[in-house]
Amino acid sequence: MSQFIAFLTLQGFVGIITLVASLIIVSVVIFLIVTSNKSEDRSLVKYKVYKIRARYFIGLSVALVIILFISLQLLHYPRFQGEADEIVTVVGIQWDWEMAHGITDKTPHQFLGKNEISLPVNKRIKFIVTSDDVTHNFGIYNNKGVLLTQIQAIPQYRNELQYFFTQKGKYTILCLEYCGLVHPFMMGTIHVQ
Amino acid sequence: MIQLEPVKLKKQRRLAITWSVSFLILFPLLIILGLLMRLGQGELIKLLLANFYAFMTLHGLGMSGLLFSMAFATIWYLISTRYARLNIRIGYFVFFTTLIGIAGLTIGTLIGKFGPGWYMLYPLPFKDPTWVPWSIEVSIISLIILGIAWLTGISHLLYSLSKEYGGFMKLLGWQYIRKVEERKELPPIVLITTISLVSAIPGFLVGITMMFLYLFQSFETVLKFDPLLLGNMTFFFGHTLSNVTLYCSVGWVYALLPEFTGREWKTNKLLVYAWNATFFLILLVYLHHLYMDIVQPLSTQYAGQIASYLSAIPATAITMFGVIFQLYRSKIKWSIIPIMLLLGMAGWAIGGFAASVDSTMAIRKILNSTLWVPAHFHTYTLMGIVLFIFAFIFYLFQTKNKEQKDKLAKTGFWLFAIGGYGFLLMLYLGGLKSIPRSYARYTGININGMHTTAVYLAQISVLFILLLLIGLFIMYFSLFANLFRMKKLDRSQ
Repeated sequence: MSQFIAFLTLQGFVGIITLVASLIIVSVVIFLIVTSNKSEDRSLVKYKVYKIRARYFIGLSVALVIILFISLQLLHYPRFQGEADEIVTVVGIQWDWEMAHGITDKTPHQFLGKNEISLPVNKRIKFIVTSDDVTHNFGIYNNKGVLLTQIQAIPQYRNELQYFFTQKGKYTILCLEYCGLVHPFMMGTIHVQ
Repeated sequence: MIQLEPVKLKKQRRLAITWSVSFLILFPLLIILGLLMRLGQGELIKLLLANFYAFMTLHGLGMSGLLFSMAFATIWYLISTRYARLNIRIGYFVFFTTLIGIAGLTIGTLIGKFGPGWYMLYPLPFKDPTWVPWSIEVSIISLIILGIAWLTGISHLLYSLSKEYGGFMKLLGWQYIRKVEERKELPPIVLITTISLVSAIPGFLVGITMMFLYLFQSFETVLKFDPLLLGNMTFFFGHTLSNVTLYCSVGWVYALLPEFTGREWKTNKLLVYAWNATFFLILLVYLHHLYMDIVQPLSTQYAGQIASYLSAIPATAITMFGVIFQLYRSKIKWSIIPIMLLLGMAGWAIGGFAASVDSTMAIRKILNSTLWVPAHFHTYTLMGIVLFIFAFIFYLFQTKNKEQKDKLAKTGFWLFAIGGYGFLLMLYLGGLKSIPRSYARYTGININGMHTTAVYLAQISVLFILLLLIGLFIMYFSLFANLFRMKKLDRSQ
């Protein structure tokens, strides 16, 4: 079981809970159709349904509070993650990524970087991300095509993203915010060594 | 309930039929744009990038506008024939100005190739040389026209309801909380329409303001606005529009379903609490669109997730349990209309759950801008709002004792539903496989296996969309046969 959980990606978890919820909803629909050929007094139905509803309301409220409490602890914002070991500046430009080590004092328009960058494994990397023109999105994928994390690149603003690469290899950056004609070809590469 | 003179009733009915027929013409055309996009992504046809994005923009803006317009038209018809006197001239004004707006958008996108996507994130509309400059102004002016048309219609509806029910505050149902002994019965559809349309007003005002800023920018290129502020305005308008469309359509489920179950569905204290709370939630949930803009204050990010989660309580505990109460052991005769209302609720619930998952900040980082996003919003539009709209059109066009035609409609409906859910499943699987949305082509993705998976999913989608269209046209046979029969009956009377 623990091995299964370890191998389960966040995407897999999302797929399972959505499937379970959908099956419950479909079951309720089938139940309502199947039971509708019988007749029962309105006040009795009201009593039964309201009783279940009261339990559902309490159950849902408790579940929402618990999930909110847990999920809000797991935020990916830099302020929840401590000091970075290395900083990378990233500028999105129609339709390319420019990256360089360190913090820059140049404007996004003056900034010169490369489409590929090498980074160390098992270090906390902080990406400072902005844009020179329109809004882009800096999405990091592993070599199996799993989206690991992302952040918007907005002109006039600097967004920060921290990520901890635990495995060496090639990572691909895709633009995940529609930014014009060549959007599906706007890519970059991170080599983790 | 008001007693409308037969002549006025006939006029309002004619307006509703005009809206419905226009909807029935435009709806499949916009689906065909979606089909072309999936054909292009599936590499089954060669679609120029500029055409793909023009189609994507028209499909998105067109569908959002069309669904809202038809939801508005439905509410207009039900209110005008049952609860308050509405001026038919204003009804036709909204109809014709909406048509002008849609025509303008079609010209801007299909001829001018305007293609910044349906939410036109600033400053993209002004930063891509693909579309010709005039297309920006034509599209923006068309959107302003639509906004003005809708605001006019909404204001008239709210004003007329206030007059009928003794003041605006009465429409919010607070008299049910204060235990006023003598009160005029407030039908749930009136309460829900009020809450939805009142929240639409700030949404549309923000949308129109934004469009004027865009218009200034298009004439004066040196202007520079704050992209984060305009991002907030965009999603405040966009999310409110889609929420209001959904909630208006839920409103007529409260009005129509009891006619088939024979069980009353009245306003009570809980319903008032639930829908008044929904008003605030509608205004806050848009914040979940900005999780990836980390420069937003953290408190707004929290507000986005909390509001999104809390929306589930009134939606499920009040409305969905209300539907369960209506249907459980009700001896209902399952004609096409209650089937669509029930399945529409299921579509709302499934899409709503997927949306709640996506509104979780910790999860959003792996779902945002993947195919999961179109998956969930297509679930509650295509399998929610659209089914509610078709339920109403069948209701409007219905004639007595036509069981045979109902069978045809049901066959069409099940094909539509299978096609629809198959199409959605491909989007959900695409989201789980991290495939990005808004990609005209997947050929550039140099990640092992992703290109192939994305193309296969798009190809399978095409089959399901075709099935959906076949089902839709079978339903059309039934609908138009009913409409012509109804016209014949009208003439003979």
